Amino acid sequence: MNEFIVNIIHRPEMVPEYAEKVTGHGKAEDLGRKALLRESLDIFLTQQECAHKNGLKTTIQMTYASLFNDEAVQTAKEHHEKYGDEIALSLLGLPCKEFRDKYKTKDFCIWMFSMDDKKAIVRDVFEKFYEKFGFYPESTGSYYMDADLINFIKAEYPSVKCAVATCWEEGPKAYHTCNNSWYTFMDGGPWAPWIPSRANTHAPAANADEDSGIVAIPHLSRDLLACYDGNGSNFGTHPQNVLRGMIYDTKTWEYPYLYNLIDQYRSLGKYNNGYAYNMMFVGPGWMNKMGRWEQPYELLLKSYNDGCAYYGKLKKEGKLKDLTMAEFADYYRQKKTYTEPECALWSDILYGSDKQLFWYTDPYMRACVNMDQGGAVVDLRPYAAKLEWPVGIGTKHVYDASYPFLIQEKYRAGYFTHYAGEGTVRSAKIIHGGEEVDLCLCRTKAHFSQSGRDRVLTLDPVEAEFSDGLTVKIQSVITFTEGSSEIKFERRIVDMSDPTADVTVREYMVGCYGTTEYSEDMTPLTLKVSAEGGDKVIPYKYKCRTESAVGASEVSCNIPPIKTRVSMRCGNGGALGYVSEGYAFSPMFTLGYEIKVCDKEDVVTWLKLERAD
Amino acid sequence: MAQAGKGRLNYRCPSCFMRDIDMDMFYDKEKDEYYCLRCQYRGNEKDVLEKNEMARFRYGAMAKRIKFDVDD
Repeated sequence: MNEFIVNIIHRPEMVPEYAEKVTGHGKAEDLGRKALLRESLDIFLTQQECAHKNGLKTTIQMTYASLFNDEAVQTAKEHHEKYGDEIALSLLGLPCKEFRDKYKTKDFCIWMFSMDDKKAIVRDVFEKFYEKFGFYPESTGSYYMDADLINFIKAEYPSVKCAVATCWEEGPKAYHTCNNSWYTFMDGGPWAPWIPSRANTHAPAANADEDSGIVAIPHLSRDLLACYDGNGSNFGTHPQNVLRGMIYDTKTWEYPYLYNLIDQYRSLGKYNNGYAYNMMFVGPGWMNKMGRWEQPYELLLKSYNDGCAYYGKLKKEGKLKDLTMAEFADYYRQKKTYTEPECALWSDILYGSDKQLFWYTDPYMRACVNMDQGGAVVDLRPYAAKLEWPVGIGTKHVYDASYPFLIQEKYRAGYFTHYAGEGTVRSAKIIHGGEEVDLCLCRTKAHFSQSGRDRVLTLDPVEAEFSDGLTVKIQSVITFTEGSSEIKFERRIVDMSDPTADVTVREYMVGCYGTTEYSEDMTPLTLKVSAEGGDKVIPYKYKCRTESAVGASEVSCNIPPIKTRVSMRCGNGGALGYVSEGYAFSPMFTLGYEIKVCDKEDVVTWLKLERAD
Repeated sequence: MAQAGKGRLNYRCPSCFMRDIDMDMFYDKEKDEYYCLRCQYRGNEKDVLEKNEMARFRYGAMAKRIKFDVDD
């Protein structure tokens, strides 16, 4: 039996993002404009009404600005009494006259302030909340909550047990979509709730010692295929985001995509021991009376009503549980263990293709497997490093909160490159008679199964054809073993047109590190082939060198800037292990193994992630 | 010529939208056209709406309600 949970969150954001800039176009900025405050409150009340009339309870995240508004405070108290809504506290919605006068800045993203300011603001906002309500909140959040901020809040206000802590894959893509003006760089996190580690919010805690003490939820439940390639803010459980993406019929004002998205999330229970999750959190700026881009207010309102109505219908049918954030945190702690992974075999619901991705997250990694590329790993985040990555003014990362990748096919090419060089990917090549067939060019489909601690992805066999007439049918099985920090890849030669022939299988990973499209300095990296006859080492100098050894026990790369060590080992005796340095036009590294196999034989390799120090 | 403003609705540039950039357009009253500050697109409301339809070409499943295997 599937349990599908939804968190519906509203915030009375007295000066909504966008509203001042959009509806106030042509007017000098005035955060205290009475009309703006009134409209903001009205939108919040409308959102509350949409949820309540559909039988749904909400989490009301009071903003700093709303704590100065008696009507907003009174409404929250009444709705808590009448509907069971949770009164929580958001660190979004800081901008207001009182905040500007006090902090003398236009910054509004809590993770970007200096640590001293973060502490001052948190104390200010939480104490103001206490003054108005007589208790401290159990839930909080922002678009991103860095680890130092969460740790501070948990230490000062231990009542907090749940927080909105990241927007999935909101990074350079969102920045570009906003004409390079939207500084929410927070790629690389989980798409579904998790327990953040004390070291890095994006990396889930592996045990009680690493536990930050809160359950984190993502801002929105996003399309795990469309968002990875396109603008994240077009494809999520945010009805107006769907309109922003123009994913609706302009004549009928219908948007089946929104319901398909919710339903696909519902279907993820079968990969996660019967649990699935959704979150809807629409800021009032998306429902202002002036309309939003091409959409008139009437359509904005309709879409929000429809979104709530669909969740309400599922609830009435017994297919959904609406929880407040604090209730959800308790539910999650009961339901999940630290090492239990989150899995999603996700299909395209937008373009009409049959493309599939598999996403996997646990405390040691986040990985994406692309079935349109033969089961290649096209995104890899080494959570095993639990990388300390302070963000905000006064740190090395003023705005960049993304968890670094080793593989990212969109930012670092993936299989396809122009003219020269290689892109980041973990795949395999089948080699015969001087020809190579990369599995990246063999489209397939995956089937998920779970056996003990293993989550297994079994791919439909694909065929490689060579010019001498040889055809090789090969099947990939990819296994994620809970708590192992490894991915196992098995390639099975299912059939060969000439049973006496042999082929070479080259298992490889092209990697690098970074958080954006642009290459980082690779010179701190060290590549190594570990073998009985002695290790062979390449300190990275962009010199295009390769080292190899037959029977290598391991090939590895040490990446000190992100405290990560990535390695491969092979289960087939006598395989040739190799490492390759990149060059200036291709600033990557490669780890791999080559082995000759015959019909019905297997090649088994493991990719492992560790903290380097 | 007076400065440009926003139109009845706040249209984005359809050309930029198709390359995943949300660029608000501004409205030139004298020419009755919207224009993009980033690229060279300009057009009246009818043209913008037509191009917005064109931008949906990639959403092949946009109108389709899909049934998922959900174990409720």
